[in-house]
Amino acid sequence: MGQAGAFTTSFLEFPRVSFYSVLPADIISTVEFNHTGELLATGDKGGRVVIFQREQESKNQVHRRGEYNVYSTFQSHEPEFDYLKSLEIEEKINKIRWLPQQNAAYFLLSTNDKTVKLWKVSERDKRPEGYNLKDEEGRLRDPATITTLRVPVLRPMDLMVEATPRRVFANAHTYHINSISVNSDYETYMSADDLRINLWNFEITNQSFNIVDIKPANMEELTEVITAAEFHPHHCNTFVYSSSKGTIRLCDMRASALCDRHTKFFEEPEDPSNRSFFSEIISSISDVKFSHSGRYIMTRDYLTVKVWDLNMENRPIETYQVHDYLRSKLCSLYENDCIFDKFECVWNGSDSVIMTGSYNNFFRMFDRNTKRDVTLEASRENSKPRAILKPRKVCVGGKRRKDEISVDSLDFSKKILHTAWHPSENIIAVAATNNLYIFQDKVN
Amino acid sequence: MLGKGGKRKFDEHEDGLEGKIVSPSDGPSKVSYTLQRQTIFNISLMKLYNHRPLTEPSLQKTVLINNMLRRIQEELKQEGSLRPVFTPSSQPSDSLSDSYREAPPPPTHPCDLGSTTSLEACLTPASLLEDDDDTFCTSQTVQPASPPRLSPPALAQEKDSFSSALDEIEELCPTSTSTEAAVAVTDNLKGTSSGASIPKPEGSQEGRTDDSKLMDSLPSNFEITTSTGFLTDLTLDDILFADIDTSMYDFDPCTSASGTASKMAPVSADDLLKTLAPYSSQPVTPSQPFKMDLTELDHIMEVLVGS
Repeated sequence: MGQAGAFTTSFLEFPRVSFYSVLPADIISTVEFNHTGELLATGDKGGRVVIFQREQESKNQVHRRGEYNVYSTFQSHEPEFDYLKSLEIEEKINKIRWLPQQNAAYFLLSTNDKTVKLWKVSERDKRPEGYNLKDEEGRLRDPATITTLRVPVLRPMDLMVEATPRRVFANAHTYHINSISVNSDYETYMSADDLRINLWNFEITNQSFNIVDIKPANMEELTEVITAAEFHPHHCNTFVYSSSKGTIRLCDMRASALCDRHTKFFEEPEDPSNRSFFSEIISSISDVKFSHSGRYIMTRDYLTVKVWDLNMENRPIETYQVHDYLRSKLCSLYENDCIFDKFECVWNGSDSVIMTGSYNNFFRMFDRNTKRDVTLEASRENSKPRAILKPRKVCVGGKRRKDEISVDSLDFSKKILHTAWHPSENIIAVAATNNLYIFQDKVN
Repeated sequence: MLGKGGKRKFDEHEDGLEGKIVSPSDGPSKVSYTLQRQTIFNISLMKLYNHRPLTEPSLQKTVLINNMLRRIQEELKQEGSLRPVFTPSSQPSDSLSDSYREAPPPPTHPCDLGSTTSLEACLTPASLLEDDDDTFCTSQTVQPASPPRLSPPALAQEKDSFSSALDEIEELCPTSTSTEAAVAVTDNLKGTSSGASIPKPEGSQEGRTDDSKLMDSLPSNFEITTSTGFLTDLTLDDILFADIDTSMYDFDPCTSASGTASKMAPVSADDLLKTLAPYSSQPVTPSQPFKMDLTELDHIMEVLVGS
């Protein structure tokens, strides 16, 4: 239990370490820790990427350890206009995925609906001084004035973090990109849109391999789309993709070049007692994530989170109700489009706890071992710095207790779609519309 | 935000649209089931047609909404398959209002299908059009006539005989401009996608009958605007929106949807249900008789379709 990420009773007590607000107009659209947890990247609707870096522990500021400060900000994508279709291409960042660090620089992939970009984020804290042909401002010197030669030296300067786009992977997706996933070989990655999945090599931008294509010859027959895709964390030949019909397909790239035929097919039979007009829509999977161990996958549909064992295809091994009280409200939620909200889900570092968001700025955590769950709220009013988060409860009917919220008072415009969990510690990042909350477990 | 989930006054047995989903076989609750189904159908249609986005609408959302519409249409078709689908023009209005207020009579009743709402009745020609290709132009006068005569609640305006006749024609045969535009649009799509699999074959244009051309125009619309969906939306538009829809003649994949959408006022589920209730008490007169002769219709169709 000493392993970081394993919860003791203190997992219910989550003090807030820091709270950041990006520009009010920008809705955060993706959140992702890097592989060490030192950096946290957010993408927003305005096409910007903001990277936070964790403060290093220092003797004189022990209490500030663990705080994340802004490290770099850059404009990743710009809005574009598709002249052929007369439609705008949004600059909203759909996903960010980090590459493992191989040298001093950091690399990440960011994507909007159509284009994936590889960004290099590097630090510069020294600069050369003493050029022969240029003066300190960079102006060329008159050669006649140069009488001696000297060797330029590197002098320290204020830390500057610069982000440069190293690769642009464009024009490979007719439909909207919903997922990107870096392969465990660190040489390739995949990008998935509604109907196709492409495999890229990081070095090659003008060509990609199409590995999944579910577009029917007659678009009229289209009834199912790809909603998410991810590579296996260890096996570079294996990936999964989920669909709008609630199914997951596991594919092996060794089987054939075009992985239209799956190796495994995960689907839970429909519960006849819960059938409704909206059964299909609420079964649409909005996110799929491999566990860190690679043995399980977790899927999020509208009302539940499910954990599947890769070795059992006919049903999930665990199902967690996120907000089942919404089941009787599905018609209204269909009318106001909330039923199409795409919630994400995350594992903690040890795969023992899973977390996902809900409405009213609530997010939920489920401990897979103890089967306990908790609902927490990410809001300024309810959280003071260093305060302990109080568990929330939604009352479904009958008498409402003092601290409970009734279903009808929930604010459906405050939705937590994106969350992230530090790879090894109990630090979570929660995006609530345009505010980013970072919470840390009380355990020192 | 969920304020619209108020109680429906229509049926006392119902506990609002959010109540338990009932199976269609129960007696009085069949009405609530069909009411619910109808409301969901209307909402789905509105979602597809009201939407005029600046960016491409989400394909996933469109597919899910279309699946919903299809499912409901299938259900309606199955319910209607036990008896003649179309009610003759002379169907007394009484039976319509009667069956709407009370529990619907057993399925053998001829006007059962029409009893749920006129919108459903308007839909049946569309669903028929999907199946019965060869009855397109030679169908009996009565069949396409009566359902469009029932003005859909809250959505259509007063029809005059000319526009209704024009609608008949448009409903039965798409114009050549729409198919040309569809081909052009498909070509554009081919140009924009790279490294993707082969787009839908435009070569499938050859050897098509009129109704197939109707279907043809849909996939390319679906790809580009997606707001038109890929059900038989052309016919639905003509039935639902009575103004002469000139979008057929200056076809532009982006404005066609907006052309129809602009005619619709935003309607909430509540409003739709309210309009259904008073409608049931009105005598449903299959108003203007179908003025065009069948041969005239044939002639006009030939002109519109081209050679």
